[in-house]
Amino acid sequence: MNLVEMIGVSKSFVDKAALKGVSLSVRRGEILSIIGPSGAGKTTLLRLINLLIYPDEGKIFFEGVDTEGSEQHRRTLRRRMAMVFQHPALFDASVFDNVALGLRIRGFSERAVVEKVDEALRYVGLSGLGRRRAATLSAGEAQRVSLARALVLEPKLLLLDEPTANLDPPNVAAIENVVKRVNSDSKITVVFATHNLLQAKRLSDRVAFLWMGELVEVGETSELFENPKDERTSLYLSGRIIY
Amino acid sequence: MNGKALPVIVGALAVILITLSSPTINLSPSRSRLVIATTTSTVDSGLLEYLKPYFDSRFNADMTWLYLGTGQAIAVASRGDADILLIHDRVREDAFVNSGSGVHRVTVMYNDFVVIGPKSDPAGIKGCTNVTVAFKKIAEAGEQGSAAFVSRGDKSGTNALELRMWAGADVSPRGKPWYIETGQGMSPTIRVSNEKQAYTVSDRGTWGKLKSKLGDTLGLQILVEGDAALLNPYGLINLNPTRYPNINSDLAEKFFLFMISDEGQGLIERFEVSGQQLFFPVFGKPESIGLPSEKAEVQFWVQKLREEGMKPPSWIQSDSQVPSDRV
Amino acid sequence: MPGWEELFYGVFRALQLIFSGDPEIARITFLSLRVSGAATLLGGIIGIPLGATIALRSFRGKTIVISMINTLMGLPPVLVGLIFYILLSSTGPLGFLHLIYTPEAMMLAQLTMVIPIVAGVVITSTSGIDVGLREAAISLGADALQEVRILLWESRLGLLTALVVGFGAAISEVGAIMIVGGNLLGYTRALTTSIVLLTNQGEFVEAIALGIILLALAFLVNVVLTCLQMKSRSGLFAQTRSTKINRKVEV
Repeated sequence: MNLVEMIGVSKSFVDKAALKGVSLSVRRGEILSIIGPSGAGKTTLLRLINLLIYPDEGKIFFEGVDTEGSEQHRRTLRRRMAMVFQHPALFDASVFDNVALGLRIRGFSERAVVEKVDEALRYVGLSGLGRRRAATLSAGEAQRVSLARALVLEPKLLLLDEPTANLDPPNVAAIENVVKRVNSDSKITVVFATHNLLQAKRLSDRVAFLWMGELVEVGETSELFENPKDERTSLYLSGRIIY
Repeated sequence: MNGKALPVIVGALAVILITLSSPTINLSPSRSRLVIATTTSTVDSGLLEYLKPYFDSRFNADMTWLYLGTGQAIAVASRGDADILLIHDRVREDAFVNSGSGVHRVTVMYNDFVVIGPKSDPAGIKGCTNVTVAFKKIAEAGEQGSAAFVSRGDKSGTNALELRMWAGADVSPRGKPWYIETGQGMSPTIRVSNEKQAYTVSDRGTWGKLKSKLGDTLGLQILVEGDAALLNPYGLINLNPTRYPNINSDLAEKFFLFMISDEGQGLIERFEVSGQQLFFPVFGKPESIGLPSEKAEVQFWVQKLREEGMKPPSWIQSDSQVPSDRV
Repeated sequence: MPGWEELFYGVFRALQLIFSGDPEIARITFLSLRVSGAATLLGGIIGIPLGATIALRSFRGKTIVISMINTLMGLPPVLVGLIFYILLSSTGPLGFLHLIYTPEAMMLAQLTMVIPIVAGVVITSTSGIDVGLREAAISLGADALQEVRILLWESRLGLLTALVVGFGAAISEVGAIMIVGGNLLGYTRALTTSIVLLTNQGEFVEAIALGIILLALAFLVNVVLTCLQMKSRSGLFAQTRSTKINRKVEV
């Protein structure tokens, strides 16, 4: 059974269609990259999986469970995943409190919170920054805190929405390393949206190409990069679809 | 966001709140409160403050008052939100009693009104003995643009008297450019007159107090006084306890008796501001200032006073006893 | 110049009153603080969740509700006082509560004015929160209540501002408490109603002295709240909590 199963999912916003009839499976334990130009619907896809928005049409299953239902049902499922946004979206509090937030929401004891937060901060290389105010962090530090905030929840599924889009190379490398490590060490499934083809190549087991709201092609990373089946994929990979 | 901070804050706020809204630290918990609805003049002059310690200690009471215009005082009392009325507007006082809201009314004291105005006296009313004539002259000068008149315009007793004067002079001043309505108490109204160098009507007490306070900066003086029409009698009215079961009618009756007793009338007589007597006791002898007799009420209350072991004022002893002795 | 003299003696008299500890002045001051303080706290307890709910939920007629609250922020105190007087009057619909001419009635009237002020300021400050933060809170698994708590924490400076503004409106208001409190000596006489009375009596120096006490009081309360603001800016709650945890860990 796949971790996530999307069947014929469409979603449109007030002015335009964001996703059109997307069917996509996320396999357990894999790193799946979603590539495509800006506006292709990558963020919408991740928000749908994170159950932040409802699909207009189609079904989404998480661990074999239909995600449709009451807000409480969706929250129960949502609490098994975690998402990192393109912007760190940190709260005006200490680094520690930011990372602890999801645990406190889940009602963990303070003792457990302290242990887990310290470990998560160590994992992203930010030990000792717990007392810093989030607002005083650099962009790279902030995004790593945001990653720690997701990892500390030990999610089944980690959703990353272009987390390195605004970062300098050392921070990009640091985040990629962490993602790879959690995937291999903790068997956390990762869905990683990016418009950076090299990054997709470096990280992922499989790649999905999204274009104008349509899922054009999904395949093993090497397969898709070397042997794209769809003409639009090859145009994009060769840089002829400019975003 | 913090799991524990929020309940702690809410708890702390609740504690502060409970502390803050706990009943007032009542310095006299056993004392019963009397609420008098009265007009600005009895408060502004300081009369009630002067009487308070005597009444409080004698009846172990806490005497308080609502500081209102006569109109509002009657409205408040007719809703049962005061225990007793002390006001000065005979027409409305009688209407209040006739409507059944009040039970007993007596004239307890009086002061008098004076017409004041700029020292230059553009209307030429100085020394006028007839206030109606003076008002006519003010209106004439007003029409010529050489004088102005400031009215309380607040339905107070003073305002009612002033309007009666205009009616007597056959003038309807409202809306005229020389007629200014302040909608405020006596002191602010005199101050406006002073600024505008205009005529106004004031009770003698407030005028005297303000004059001694303002001294040289006051460019006004008394121009007309002494006309019987300018007398200002104060009525004391107790409320109908059947209609208003929640009022403190026992204490209200005590206050009624206190005010008309020898002690109360004597205190009123001795009350002075800047060496000037402001109120003149007149219980039992309204005839002396040209008012109709209140014989039935006076006899009722003198009887009450004796039942309570209180003394009626000295001038009643002979007056009311002589007829009762003869019967 | 008599005007300058009155102002000068007013300041002098205010200091004299403060340092002499005049019991009547103390009682009047305490009453003002008690009534307006309680109205502000209750106004916060009601107005903050109300404002937050309106700001964070989308529903039909939201614009109209916000416009109504903004209008109510400018409620004339005299009107509030009159309405409460009519309601609470002994023969009025709520006369059986026996609240007329009590500090509680004054508090209720001020509460009515404080709630829309607090709610209005809260709406403005919480509407300013980045939608990304709201989404992050939900993504982290927050339920509706937890989301509101997180976002209130995020806009805590705005909440303190709301309380400061609400308290300022309450303590300086005179129209409502004059009518429903009655300005009864030693019972419902507050600073502002005393100022009106003294002004009508021509006691300008005393009136100014009380006015200065009022200002000093408002200043003190604002200093306390501003200190709180500053501390929360530097993470007051986070600090105290993590020190507590560190101690726990050492044990």
